[in-house]
Amino acid sequence: MELLSFKETKSLLLKYGLPFCETEIFNSLDKAIEYAEEIDYPLVLKVFGKDIFHRTENEGVVVGIKNKEDLKREWEKMDQRFKIKEGILVQETVNGRELILGMKRDEQFGPVLMFGLGGIFAELYKDVSLRLSPLDKKEAEKMIKETKAWEIIKGFRGEGVNKEKVIELLVRLSKLAEKERMIKSIDFNPVMGNKKEVLIVDFKVAI
Amino acid sequence: MNLDKIFNPSSIAIIGASEEERSVGEGLVKNLLTSQKKIFCVNPFRKKVFQMDCFGKITDIKESVDLAIVAVPAPAVLDVIEECCQKKVKGIIVISSGFQETGEEGRKREEKMKEIVERAGIPLIGPNCLGIINLSNNLNASFASALPQKGNLAFLSQSGSLANALIDKSLEFNLGFSKIVSYGNEAQVDLPQLLSYLQDDKETKAILLYLEGVKRGREFFETAREVSRHKPIVVLKAGRGKVGEKAVSTHTGSLVGNYETYQAVFKQAGLIEVDSLEELLDIGKALSFTQNFKNGIGVITNGGGLGVLAVDFCEKLGVEVSELSKETKEALSKDKRLDKILIKSNPLDIMGDALSERYEAGLRCFLGAREINGVLVMQSTQIMTEPIKNAKIIGEMKKEFPAKPIVCCFVGGPLVKDAVAYLEENRIPNYSDPKRAIKAIKSLILCFQ
Repeated sequence: MELLSFKETKSLLLKYGLPFCETEIFNSLDKAIEYAEEIDYPLVLKVFGKDIFHRTENEGVVVGIKNKEDLKREWEKMDQRFKIKEGILVQETVNGRELILGMKRDEQFGPVLMFGLGGIFAELYKDVSLRLSPLDKKEAEKMIKETKAWEIIKGFRGEGVNKEKVIELLVRLSKLAEKERMIKSIDFNPVMGNKKEVLIVDFKVAI
Repeated sequence: MNLDKIFNPSSIAIIGASEEERSVGEGLVKNLLTSQKKIFCVNPFRKKVFQMDCFGKITDIKESVDLAIVAVPAPAVLDVIEECCQKKVKGIIVISSGFQETGEEGRKREEKMKEIVERAGIPLIGPNCLGIINLSNNLNASFASALPQKGNLAFLSQSGSLANALIDKSLEFNLGFSKIVSYGNEAQVDLPQLLSYLQDDKETKAILLYLEGVKRGREFFETAREVSRHKPIVVLKAGRGKVGEKAVSTHTGSLVGNYETYQAVFKQAGLIEVDSLEELLDIGKALSFTQNFKNGIGVITNGGGLGVLAVDFCEKLGVEVSELSKETKEALSKDKRLDKILIKSNPLDIMGDALSERYEAGLRCFLGAREINGVLVMQSTQIMTEPIKNAKIIGEMKKEFPAKPIVCCFVGGPLVKDAVAYLEENRIPNYSDPKRAIKAIKSLILCFQ
């Protein structure tokens, strides 16, 4: 299994109208600083590469970068730590609840779509529901309501998440899965959701 | 392809017929002799089988043959199939093993066999199976070790040995079948085709399915979804472990395993998934004996403990215990037989010293209540309890209120044995444990939606 590059992933997300947070990839610190000033701090840095699957465990993600000095320092460290990479992502910070959306192409049944509670413990909680593609809005809503994440969307101890936008995202992911047969699996984890917007923050697309 | 002549043949040839004790060929002949159809034995190495003349080849038979059952060693199967095609049979069942399940050589043999029958346009069930039983016309074209009762359930099994075990077990469960198909490797007739056939089968009310895996996933999903709109399908899936699955390095990959995908498919297609053979039969019994109903049950019990256990499982499985209306409470209060019962609520605890009259009074009220769509009657055995009398009252009530299903949970051993037999003879499902009863009720509610 091989991951799509950042550029390939980005154009795929744009093609299917899958919303993601402000993100760009860089190989030069100067350009990264320029972009950082444009989208404003606090920021997130993430290493990105075709063979880099587990970033959290290997200090490949740094959040809460408050200013230029932070950015310089963390950039140097990350650049040293990961010699082989496509580049380093600079991302805006998005607040909200962590969700997971995914797709796996099954040999027997075709694309299987997944929705659930996201974050680094997603595999531990296993709070997900699955559906075969294609998915319409009604089925997507049922899918969401089968998980405990539904309580969080409704506003369990917080403001909740825009349900319609989660549904829209699932339906679009289904369309992508139906059309792009080369793609074997997709991970959007986390997808950050709040009342206003639902944005993909992390993506892995495998072919 | 038309499967009708497989299930309703007027003449049958057994290729590999034998009278050698404990052989498959003997089992087939013995079972088919009970079918009272025209039977031809074929076996080049025998002159007679059970006093019947034996033919060397199927093409030696002068009369026409609807169904050919093949039980010869695998290397001889292809020639036999060619002869069946020459004979223009209307259907073939291949019992023999030694095909896809054995490796490359077997796989090629199976491919070739498929080619031959498809060219001739003849449907073929198997290979590597136990055969089929059609109870509605007394056809036992299998080497099954026991014959099930006639009824309204169909059973499709990927495994032959499991079909045998389930048939025997079903006799203990008072369950009856319309058709039993051990479908083996699905070389030609596959699971979706069988499901579609059963959708139109008037004798079949619900379908039980034992599955290890499917061949054409998408087709199975779409057919099962369509069929389950007309008839309930209950599925038991084996092979759930992660062993053999490739190591995965993505979240989705690790959260969406093979079994999880099957579970999603079953749910999305509207199938009821069960965990064990016992549960398959439990739910089969509920679907066979009674009708589905809208959520909202009444519970009558002579023991608080049983009632609480039932309510616990109701809550866990999403079965609603209906809130009693003012009218129902009044009706309960008016009945003198219930004077000693101070708390008139649902579950209705008619107390340990309840004689049959209290069961009758409570049941009548609940069956007449608008807010109650089905009733669970529970009984523990106190020294004064009258199990047989209670069972008879429930039987009468079923006749009086045919629109509302009654499910029983008579708990006990020797003390309730006769009462349970009476209930089930009258097609009132009984379960010896509240959990099993509520699971069965849940499946009836699921089928209603």
